[in-house]
Amino acid sequence: MALATAHQPAGHAPAHNHLAINRAGLWLFFFSETILFGLLLSARFYLEGIHREELDQLLGLGITIVLLLSSVTAYTAETAIEHDNKKVGSWYLFFTILLGLIFAGGVAFEWSTAHFSRHESFGSVFFTMTGIHATHVITGVVMLILVWIQALRGRYSSKNPWAVSAVVMYWHFVDVVWVFYYPALYLTK
Amino acid sequence: MRNAMQTGLIVAAILAVLTVTEYLFATRVEDDLVRFLGIAASAIGKAALIVYYFMHIYRLWRPQEAH
Repeated sequence: MALATAHQPAGHAPAHNHLAINRAGLWLFFFSETILFGLLLSARFYLEGIHREELDQLLGLGITIVLLLSSVTAYTAETAIEHDNKKVGSWYLFFTILLGLIFAGGVAFEWSTAHFSRHESFGSVFFTMTGIHATHVITGVVMLILVWIQALRGRYSSKNPWAVSAVVMYWHFVDVVWVFYYPALYLTK
Repeated sequence: MRNAMQTGLIVAAILAVLTVTEYLFATRVEDDLVRFLGIAASAIGKAALIVYYFMHIYRLWRPQEAH
């Protein structure tokens, strides 16, 4: 088990153990992030119950579909790189970046048109939750751009896919967070 | 690679269905408890699919598998 091998000194570990340690570390990071996002989700229901202000439902559904679609393109990019199909991998990384930017744009538009303010309790949790999530999206887009540039240079292959896998996993994690934030903010009533 | 791509497309289709289901529960169901449970079950189902098929959580228990 990966977690069981994590105590070995990295410099003396075989290559497959390096990968196992990397994976375990990334998942520990996800668990710590889950606490942050989970607490914000708890705060939303603690402060407002299931009540919510009116939001643009079409926009909410649209950006949710865009983010889910970006997970599919990210998965395709990772799979392509793992099978040495570098051209397809680079293209799908690019599509993921594009969809991430569209999502961030949608959140920005929602912020600019929201009829409630950050001084109200729903506004406070809405802007905090979407703001922190959007910050993670932007961070993911920046990391995807860095990986995409390296992928264009042919740096990643079936023998060296970890950077792509790690960024793509981070991207999926951000998607999983939105899977819970979308109904909590847009669908409860 | 073809199998992996097919898996991705099937998961994407199920995610789409669950998103629509979630939306329908939110907009059509009047009973608070049923609506909440429907939305929650859809969200948990979507998260589980992404964590298993896209984030490959099972690889944590297969350290020898490179990817």
